[in-house]
Amino acid sequence: MSETDPRDDQAPEDQAQDETLVETLQLERIEENLFRGTSPDTQPGRIFGGQVIAQSLLAAYETVESRVCHSLHCYFIRPGDPTTPIVFEVDRSRDGGSFTTRRVVAVQRGKQIFNLAASFKDPEEGFSHQAPMPEGPHWSELPDEAEMAREWLKNAPPAAKRWMRVRPIEMRSKDARTYWTTGPKEPSSQHWFRCRTPIGADPHMHQVILAYASDMNLLSTAMRPYGVHWQTPGFQSASLDHAMWFHRPTDFNQWHLYVHDSPSASDGRGLIRGAIYAEDGTLVASVAQEGLMRMRPQT
Amino acid sequence: MDTQTLVETLRLERLEVNLFRGTTPDEESRQRIYGGQVIAQSLLAAYETVEDRVCHSLHCYFIRPGDPNIPIIFEVDRARDGGSFTTRRVIAVQHGQQIFNLAASFQVEEQGFEHQSEMPDAPHWDTVEDDIEAARRRLKDAPPEARAWLERPHPIEMRTVGGEPDEVKPDPREPRQQVWFRAKTPIGPDPHMHQVILAYASDMSLLGTAVQPHGVGWQTPGMQTASLDHAMWFHRPTDFNEWHLYQQESPSASGGRGFNLGHIYRASDGALVASCAQEGLMRMRRPKA
Repeated sequence: MSETDPRDDQAPEDQAQDETLVETLQLERIEENLFRGTSPDTQPGRIFGGQVIAQSLLAAYETVESRVCHSLHCYFIRPGDPTTPIVFEVDRSRDGGSFTTRRVVAVQRGKQIFNLAASFKDPEEGFSHQAPMPEGPHWSELPDEAEMAREWLKNAPPAAKRWMRVRPIEMRSKDARTYWTTGPKEPSSQHWFRCRTPIGADPHMHQVILAYASDMNLLSTAMRPYGVHWQTPGFQSASLDHAMWFHRPTDFNQWHLYVHDSPSASDGRGLIRGAIYAEDGTLVASVAQEGLMRMRPQT
Repeated sequence: MDTQTLVETLRLERLEVNLFRGTTPDEESRQRIYGGQVIAQSLLAAYETVEDRVCHSLHCYFIRPGDPNIPIIFEVDRARDGGSFTTRRVIAVQHGQQIFNLAASFQVEEQGFEHQSEMPDAPHWDTVEDDIEAARRRLKDAPPEARAWLERPHPIEMRTVGGEPDEVKPDPREPRQQVWFRAKTPIGPDPHMHQVILAYASDMSLLGTAVQPHGVGWQTPGMQTASLDHAMWFHRPTDFNEWHLYQQESPSASGGRGFNLGHIYRASDGALVASCAQEGLMRMRRPKA
């Protein structure tokens, strides 16, 4: 985790016009179970958490044949440095009859910055139920966040204008218009999102990009009752862990609804759970994340 | 096994600074180790390497069935000792193979923002039948070996609202349930041990929630169930000798797996003390050709 940069659940802008997110996340294989990845070089401060989740899942996938990830659990241990490559070490915990289990440790400068454990299996038929998709405005009725940002930042100082660049994930939030207003709100929210550029035919990559995007705008839900956000002076926030369960395959170039709520905050931490639905109401994935959220002691 | 025996048998022997050995209680003569035991012992192993900080979350995978007849070795990786947080990973090994892994995070207690979801309404535990009592009644004609476990002491007292569903041929229910539970006899003054026993108990009954809509039980012929993972967030300290409400729901089942969420509330003041998430295997074995 990081205790320095509060911009934790804000994904960076796309790095270069000619590189897609899929290309950015690609890993180099150093040895059978050892991989190296890099960060977009325009990214300031520290590495976006979703990027490390996505790359670690990719590293695990490189050691798994034909099975599909159904769950992953991660911890953010130290802030990632975007100017240094990340090395991913995969432990082949088990290749079983039905399940494959992997652990991945992400290392920079000899120190663990992140770990992931994940499980993979062959698709099968069986019992099926799911919670219905909650009511809410359709994506076509909501403003595009990049458009809104451009409007707001028209007269902003140059340092703020990097937020105007096109980002890899397109987002339309039910609460977009109230992002910058203060005052307490319910600890629940929903937004529509999808990957802007074509992900391609590989279904694993749709999972990887969904995992990337699942770390965006999540933690802020736990802060809503307090009228604080990542730019509030003295406020400190960071993702601590991230868990994700992939219930059904999906095409993340299509719009999805991300519904989240925070059942608890205490002790400087907030818990958020999320559910991701395809536009037809299919429950595609569930998410749980705990985040640090505290006011720094006044000096 | 009563609660005190459980607390004693969960204790680990330190083999090296980061290496521990644990055993399975003798009377738990099962074919495989109960998952909650390995969660509890792994958390204890991690605690042995952490000073003055409290666990606020853990994430585990059940990788292979545990063998109750031999000890379990726990290897702790000291992932980080940071300014505010301590991170640990634990691997549980038997026969040279990983049976389980856990990652956990520990923090110095602090004050700050506070909110929680409200404890749902539930019938008072005094009006709900004890699960063991109900099972004794339900299984009165079962063979003695099937009834033996019912006659032993149990460390955790559980009362399922509406009664536990039939093991073999239950009526379908909504994928949610409410269970009152607590440690039956005193855990003692160590607040970590209350967390450890709560973690032990949190692996009970949760998986069943996802099975409920489908009219099958864990003893339906051909039915196969097992915990796959387990995650837990400790929101507030608690005394697990008090009654707690375990509120469970299953948002999804698909692909041979069921997903469950649980929230644990303290009855006396409605405090949300912990949240859990667990995916379980739930499939009918294909009939042999």
